[in-house]
Amino acid sequence: MTARLSGVGLQWHASGQSSLHGPLLDLAERLDEAFALLADRIWRAQAERHPATLPAAALQRLDYLYSFPHQATFPMRLDRAEANLEAFRSGPMVGLDGVLALTELAAPLDVLTPAACYHLYHGHEGEQLGGPLFLTTRNTCFRQEAAYEPLRRQWSFTMREIVCLGTGSEAAAFLENAHLAVDRLLKGVGLPVEWQAATDPFFNPRSDPRYLMQRMQPVKREAVYGGDLAIASANLHHEHFGDAFSIARDGGPAHSACMAFGIERWLFAVVDQHGTDPAAWPDPIEAAEAAAAAQEDS
Amino acid sequence: MPSDLIAGQTDQPAATADARAQLRAWVLEKAGGLDPAGLTDQTPLLERRILRSVHLPELILLLERLGGGEIDVEDISPGQFRDIDTMMANFVRPADGSEPRP
Repeated sequence: MTARLSGVGLQWHASGQSSLHGPLLDLAERLDEAFALLADRIWRAQAERHPATLPAAALQRLDYLYSFPHQATFPMRLDRAEANLEAFRSGPMVGLDGVLALTELAAPLDVLTPAACYHLYHGHEGEQLGGPLFLTTRNTCFRQEAAYEPLRRQWSFTMREIVCLGTGSEAAAFLENAHLAVDRLLKGVGLPVEWQAATDPFFNPRSDPRYLMQRMQPVKREAVYGGDLAIASANLHHEHFGDAFSIARDGGPAHSACMAFGIERWLFAVVDQHGTDPAAWPDPIEAAEAAAAAQEDS
Repeated sequence: MPSDLIAGQTDQPAATADARAQLRAWVLEKAGGLDPAGLTDQTPLLERRILRSVHLPELILLLERLGGGEIDVEDISPGQFRDIDTMMANFVRPADGSEPRP
């Protein structure tokens, strides 16, 4: 499959990341535009763009590092003291094995974005919501894995999310609508999936409260293509983020829910389903227009 | 009448009744401020957010102690922890030695 993909614009890197050009890049952009179109047309979601990193202190409030230490990636910086920078320059800087020969590091304060929507809760910290708040954002996300596979499992990948912050029933209603809209979109682009209950890949599940809660009261459903590739996920967070970031709605912590799309995985699914001739690929924007129109009519 | 029945609770063996009482006491301790009269054996604990995720590792340990067996968290299915009745039925072995209800 990798050879077929490289013929339509994939360049695969040993680090577990991909570069895109040509037809695949065009399809990636059109897919993202389709997801953003759903967010705008159905929920009038406010679009946001955020940096590549999140403060570690913010992630700590979510217990992210406790639950997923094996997936986190930390950006490193050299201590800016002149002597330290000179010491770095006077060394090999990069060894023959490709390993950086670092000198003193600056205090690490940040984590590379592990999920696009975390920025949204952090960005709306302390707000009192007068009604449901719909947001959408896209970011490059980083998750370290034991093994990587082009477009299917990557160290860095692109995630588009649509989020609702509101009461419990507003969040639940959003997710129900989002589920319908995604089903319509999937039908429009001719991708068969099966929605399955899922859990996140916690480091030590048995001792992790959030994993246990996911088992006892399922909050995550994934649209699985080809039996094992989750291309979208619908997540109900209850008050987890509202609590952590003091976002209030209706006299209590806001509930939240998100629909997330892994764009590289959609690329894989489209090529796997429709082949490597771009002329045979569906138009995701047209499918999203139809899905949004059907949603407005229902 | 089996010797391990408590007078007045003829429908459940003493060990099971004790386990139920311990489970109920633990829930009330974690519920913080919940009126004991408002907690029945059918009160939905997760749905009503009486128990929250932070309590769950300890709940698993408690049920393992009361039930006398290890709980494989990979086998947990939704609904098994809905309320005290459900947890008793799924994880606490009756005093007659029979298996907990699957």
